Amino acid sequence: MVGLIGRLWNLQYKSIVKEASGKTLAVAKFFCILHVTNTYLCTFALAYGPSMIPTFNLTGDMFLAERLSIKFGKVGPGDIVLLRSPESPRKVMAKRLLGLESHSVTYVVDPMNSDRCDTIVVPKGHVWVEGDNIYNSRDSRQFGPVPYSLLEGKVFCKIWPPKEFGSLMKSGMKDPDL
Amino acid sequence: MRLLSYMGQWKSAAKEVLDRTAIVAKFLCLLHVTNNYLCSPTLVYGPSMLPTLNLTGDVVLAEHVSHRIGKVGTGDVVLVRSPVDPRRILTKRVVGMEGDTVSFYVDPMYSQTTVVPKGHVWIQGDNTYASSDSRHFGSVPYGLIQGKVFFRESNELRITRF
Repeated sequence: MVGLIGRLWNLQYKSIVKEASGKTLAVAKFFCILHVTNTYLCTFALAYGPSMIPTFNLTGDMFLAERLSIKFGKVGPGDIVLLRSPESPRKVMAKRLLGLESHSVTYVVDPMNSDRCDTIVVPKGHVWVEGDNIYNSRDSRQFGPVPYSLLEGKVFCKIWPPKEFGSLMKSGMKDPDL
Repeated sequence: MRLLSYMGQWKSAAKEVLDRTAIVAKFLCLLHVTNNYLCSPTLVYGPSMLPTLNLTGDVVLAEHVSHRIGKVGTGDVVLVRSPVDPRRILTKRVVGMEGDTVSFYVDPMYSQTTVVPKGHVWIQGDNTYASSDSRHFGSVPYGLIQGKVFFRESNELRITRF
């Protein structure tokens, strides 16, 4: 009698476990595919902060960034890139790329207080990034040129807010008449 | 008639090929995930880490968990992406973390002292005479660290722990 109950319990238990593991495997596969797509193809990100006004809002914009261009070296000046901050390794920020290695970049050192400009040649293996809002942006003007390997993605399309949906042009300045 | 039978054969062959490819793909995925997020064997060569690592090449095991949780510290041998050439990965020792004061010899008579800035590390090869490291290209952002070496498999069947 006990043996029979034991066997019945085993059967039920086995089928429950099988179903649970089947469903878990399906969910795990889905997350794997999502993770691979995020890491190697295309990801979407939310950026907030004042350093890229007017391209991105203060309170947060969602956009799509793709990862292939960085791996193949197809980024150039004028692109908006995601990069890992050289000052806080857990932070990823969005800035505009202004110069690749061996480019000569001229920048305004402190636009709030003076008009003084400085020119620098970007060293080998590094890039120069600046926020669109140079009055309130912490970028290469403060922490210097950034190694190319810290770049994580190239932003190509804004998806939120919906009325600003669309691909991001290279020029960076939105024409208010359009 | 013949055409139908050919198509049937072709379909079953295609299905078998697809199944086998799926198995290989799954295995490669697992290998890739393990290599990137857990532990990976790497071949390192060059004179800059003598006598710790060989000139002609050593297979080392590097784990990729510590640097994500911030457990990399002074004295660790790390794999770090070169700030000068983004395609190369270097093996060096971490000599100073952010905020540390580092003294190094630029040439035998003349030593310099710098403070490692926030978010950066100072890396040096063990063989300071033949190593291009932070003494030449400055402190390196922490985000460039790819992994921490913890095991060396030597050619002479002698396994050395760090």
